[in-house]
Amino acid sequence: MYAPLEPHGGRLVYNVVEDRDRAASMSAGLTKVEIEPTYGPDGAPIRNPYREIMTITYGFVSPIEGFMTRNDVDSILRERRYRGWLFPFPLIYDIDEETVKSLGLKEGDSVLLTLKGKPLAVMNIEEIYKLGDRKELADAVFGTPERNGEVVKKRFDEKHPGWLMYRMMRPMALAGKLTLVNPPKFKEPYARFWMPPHVSREYIKSRGWKIVVAHQTRNVPHIGHEMLMKRAMFVAGAERPADAVFVNAIIGAKRPGDYVDEAILEGHEALNKAGYFHANRHVVTMTLWDMRYGNPLESLFHAVIRQNLGVTHHMFGRDHAATGDYYDPYATQYLWTRGLPSYGIEAPPYQVDKGVKVRPVNLGEFAYCPKCGEYTYLGMAYGDYKEPPLCGHPPERVSGSFLRGVIIEGLRPPKVVMRPEVYDVIVKWWKVYGYPYVTDRYLKIKEQELEVEL
Amino acid sequence: MTYKIGLLIDEKRYEAIKNLPFATTLKSMFGGDIRVLEIEVDEETSRRILAEFPAARVDARGFLEDLPVAFKRELFNAVVSTGSVGREAFEKVFAKIDEIKQAAAKEKEYVPPPT
Repeated sequence: MYAPLEPHGGRLVYNVVEDRDRAASMSAGLTKVEIEPTYGPDGAPIRNPYREIMTITYGFVSPIEGFMTRNDVDSILRERRYRGWLFPFPLIYDIDEETVKSLGLKEGDSVLLTLKGKPLAVMNIEEIYKLGDRKELADAVFGTPERNGEVVKKRFDEKHPGWLMYRMMRPMALAGKLTLVNPPKFKEPYARFWMPPHVSREYIKSRGWKIVVAHQTRNVPHIGHEMLMKRAMFVAGAERPADAVFVNAIIGAKRPGDYVDEAILEGHEALNKAGYFHANRHVVTMTLWDMRYGNPLESLFHAVIRQNLGVTHHMFGRDHAATGDYYDPYATQYLWTRGLPSYGIEAPPYQVDKGVKVRPVNLGEFAYCPKCGEYTYLGMAYGDYKEPPLCGHPPERVSGSFLRGVIIEGLRPPKVVMRPEVYDVIVKWWKVYGYPYVTDRYLKIKEQELEVEL
Repeated sequence: MTYKIGLLIDEKRYEAIKNLPFATTLKSMFGGDIRVLEIEVDEETSRRILAEFPAARVDARGFLEDLPVAFKRELFNAVVSTGSVGREAFEKVFAKIDEIKQAAAKEKEYVPPPT
């Protein structure tokens, strides 16, 4: 099983019309529907469906070709399958009832979805349906301690950004196939990291990489992350080290307190620009997606998009794509070693029919050992599984949020915690936004400017 | 359950607490580049702090993190003035919570970058 692996569902979706004349004829005369962001209760934008449209049409979530019907959503919530293929999240185009009525939308129509008033994509409306109680929907998406006790430790609430995203959806939904008719131009710094699946698969081939480990990130890398990436290469190869680490940053709305997207991308890039990774063993790319922070579910989403991007393995660490203490810190490892029967996934995702082909690299945490003078492995524990630590000394754990505290107080992090070149990137974007982390103001600027121009 | 708050101690702060009993409990981290005063926080106090500051959270080590700089600064001042790392210090901080939240609200939008 060498890279690039076959796409999830067997065929890479590429619903992008680059021919301007064809795009114009497809869009001519269609009713326009402006893409509306989802807002939190305080008015901060927490999602823009344009990112899902881009992610769907460029094939990141192949075999999915559009927003989901009610049956698709029910299937996802029942057994995390989209038309038979494993997939964790409902992808819903939510809309107000008044908009449906005022535009006279009906099933069988095609509509032109516009972004900031400009054409973006055509949707062939297969179904228009009511979403019902969105709080129940949000609970069903993420789970509850009662129903999903193997991994859910606390009931989700409005402090969880992914749960809130579904909770705040408008009451109706449009479902149907999407075609991008006006491929947008990415702004800097995003443009140099945009490598959709058909491009990344060619890139991997051109490099001659056979074993490629994906690293999920929503974070500026500290050295604990770097250790995870580097050590994962030696686990993934088995008979030999892997060829490369494929960093794929999630770009979109994030929780206040996360790093700004530009710093995440350039922070990872700094690792190979400054030589901590050889450029032939490391690449930084991005996916447009408003993070759901769904820990094990998000890990399945990550496996799907990175399989479509062409990798063979995916590294999963502690608290994968998590926030707060809603999930067990090793919920993702639970999924990838046992499945999640309470969500309808009876075995690890690469062992079930129509599952993913990407193999997991499950890792616990690394921490600095002052006695060894290097990073050491702490091991992991979940259920009845427990690993001993690698060394016998008390370690110093590198917590991302502790590090954020150091930074915001104006202190340069120690070199054993963060590469100076990475810190310089943080300060570069701090000077641009007046703050190193995501704020409501940053989210509003991001919503206004987006990552693209049409 | 008990959580913790880690207060970073630079030289200036160290001067202010060096004669207090808990000064001997300071932890040196990452090869000695940083010293930290770890303060235990009971569950009720933790809940209140998390409610007052929505961006705050409990990290993988059980520490309350992503707290406003203004809160941490006031907590340090309270620790110095009460000579305590217990409830007295937190009561003093909560007495000024509106003021801290006002400062924190500005801080949520702007903190001067290091030069």
